[in-house]
Amino acid sequence: MSSLCLNRLQEERKQWRKDHPFGFYAKPSKAGDGSLDLMNWSVGIPGKKGTLWEGGTYPLTIAFPDEYPTKPPKCKFPPNFWHPNVYPSGTVCLSILNEEEAWKPAITIKQILLGIQDLLNDPNPDSPAQADAFNAFKRDRALYERRVKSQSKEYATQ
Amino acid sequence: MSRETYAKRSLGEVYDKVHKAKVLMVGAGGIGCELLKNLVLTGFGEVHLVDLDTIDLSNLNRQFLFGHEHIKKSKALVAKETASKFNPNVNLVAYHANIKDPQFTVKWFKSFDIVLNALDNFDARRYVNRMCLTADIPMIDSGTTGYNGQMRVVIKGKTECYECNPIEPPKSFPVCTIRTTPSQPIHCIVWAKSYLFSQLFGIDEDASPDLDNTENKENEDELKNLRLENEELKKVKNAFGTVEFAKLVFEKVFQIDIDRLLTLADAWKHRRAPVPLDFASIKAEADAAGYEDLDKVAALLANDQPVWSLHENFVVFTDSINRLSKRLVDLQNRDLGGSKSILTFDKDDDDTLDFVSAAANLRSIIFGIETKSKFDIKQMSGNIIPAIATTNAIVAGLVVTQAFKVLSNDLTHAKMVYVSQPPSRMLSSGALLPANRDCAVCGVARASIEVDITKLTLGQFIDDVLKEKLSYTDEISVMTSKLLYDVEFDDNLDKTFEQLGIQDGSFITVMDEDEPEDGSTARVNLEFLVLTKEFSSEPAYTLEAISGIPRKPRPEAAESDSDENMVVPASTKRKADEIVETSNGNKKAKTETSGTSETIVLDDEDGTFLID
Repeated sequence: MSSLCLNRLQEERKQWRKDHPFGFYAKPSKAGDGSLDLMNWSVGIPGKKGTLWEGGTYPLTIAFPDEYPTKPPKCKFPPNFWHPNVYPSGTVCLSILNEEEAWKPAITIKQILLGIQDLLNDPNPDSPAQADAFNAFKRDRALYERRVKSQSKEYATQ
Repeated sequence: MSRETYAKRSLGEVYDKVHKAKVLMVGAGGIGCELLKNLVLTGFGEVHLVDLDTIDLSNLNRQFLFGHEHIKKSKALVAKETASKFNPNVNLVAYHANIKDPQFTVKWFKSFDIVLNALDNFDARRYVNRMCLTADIPMIDSGTTGYNGQMRVVIKGKTECYECNPIEPPKSFPVCTIRTTPSQPIHCIVWAKSYLFSQLFGIDEDASPDLDNTENKENEDELKNLRLENEELKKVKNAFGTVEFAKLVFEKVFQIDIDRLLTLADAWKHRRAPVPLDFASIKAEADAAGYEDLDKVAALLANDQPVWSLHENFVVFTDSINRLSKRLVDLQNRDLGGSKSILTFDKDDDDTLDFVSAAANLRSIIFGIETKSKFDIKQMSGNIIPAIATTNAIVAGLVVTQAFKVLSNDLTHAKMVYVSQPPSRMLSSGALLPANRDCAVCGVARASIEVDITKLTLGQFIDDVLKEKLSYTDEISVMTSKLLYDVEFDDNLDKTFEQLGIQDGSFITVMDEDEPEDGSTARVNLEFLVLTKEFSSEPAYTLEAISGIPRKPRPEAAESDSDENMVVPASTKRKADEIVETSNGNKKAKTETSGTSETIVLDDEDGTFLID
């Protein structure tokens, strides 16, 4: 494991502690021996006010590779998360998380989470990741919205 | 005339230093073989070599210290045996072991005059780099990929270390490209190897959990759909080991899934839409070509050079999937509870390679991508970059010339050297750069502490050592490879070092997160080396005296920490090879076009290292 990566992650943790957007949480997961595993975080993203996603706090795991921050982390919602740009496995497809597109080592965890929050209510129709939500989004908006709403209840903010 | 005559004549007074030097060589592979030969022939007196690997047939074309009779034997031991015949006067010590083993302590590293890396992976390089910095021993790192190679000298506090600048890691592919929109053969190969193969024969990372926990009347229909899809996959996996299996997999991944992709109409507006394959018609084609005959299948598989046609790929796909599922069923029948056996992809395992080659090609055909031969796919899927003996030899030669300079303390002439393929200059060199002051590895203060790990708790360490003795504030974090403590995480204070997994030779990093009110900066990280020792009385540790921990340099004005500054120009990242030495000895950044690299000539300016 590279110290560069760990240093950066601890710095991210410190910055998050000092200042993070309202309604979000982000913490490294607990390892078996009681220490914290900085390479794997559990986070929560609240749906934006005034959108269909409001009222839910959506759980996400972030896995950082050894080469972070040269390479982007992998962000995953629970499997079968209902969103056009989320794979059936839960993996988020977003340009700033893509090494070949917009990932930059300077992007912070806060920026990633705000980016995913934006994506929730503003799906990108050019990169579909699952058929169900994508097709509903394109063709049956009522169904799409019903599912988003029921999902927001499933993940209702505590 | 003694064998040392020429070495003595060309090295002059340096010969004595070289002869008395104790050298550690890490890795006895491609570069290692060349390097060891150079070392014993240039008069080095004592060389210790470490390699955990054994000799493989594929090594023999370039690792010339090994012969056919040595296959499966230890690289380190055989290299020692062969090289000692070149010069029996050298004291060679071989270890068939991992350099990361705890037996190779910092104290052991300290016993050497120089460490030469001839490694093939980042992880071990990073480890040796850190050990050499801790032990304060000069290191020369080297590496080659195909026609390209590089080597550089690393000396604590004086030069850049191995991690001062981020190393470009090998490319990986975004999930979207692999799953939905492949455009190159490698995308389909990665899909076949990392996705399909592991779905069928490995750990099913993407398995959908059961959906019974959601009781919601509104979305009953959709749940039904999801359940259907789940069952679809389950049904396919249930057919495991039966004759139907190949057909079901084929139809699922090359037909049904592709049909589903096609429903994402927008994705294909600006791209060629995929064309699903039809099992029955391709099977008919294959049968017509006579592939019901197993000998003909065997003949097809025996030659890995030609590019297979659609129905040939089909034949290999069904044949290999049957072989693999049979193997897995056999394995799992022998499982004794516990975890289920799985298969993993290995480029040298023909069953898995056949499967990946055929599946990748079938997917390529669907997406209108060029198909590849099994031979090509083996290289691509195994990330094989052909190793070239000549590059290894050049780099190994350079390492020895630089080692002479290090041992004679002539750092002003020591260099980093790059070997590259024409039309670039074949050899280009640069002066060694000063350490990156923000480096997380060499830009730290170091200390060692003798600890009774069964007695000392994290809380005592923080209170007694860090706060009391070293006057840290509360604003610190304490880490190994995991986070043990910071201001918001104090769960572990009562645990002993042992309970936290700290052993002899472990490193503990203390990060100062204080922001002093007087506007000064926080201290640089402090890295403790833990040495275990039994203590019968309190305190259960002795701290090595530390001569002050420097403060971090002030961030440069040009760097902005602003959150909103999402897009940092890529050019702020420093790259080792962007800096070259100009003729008047000043360092300046190289522009993309100028290419002012100085050609290396092992000439008089550098002293005596003429090679004839």
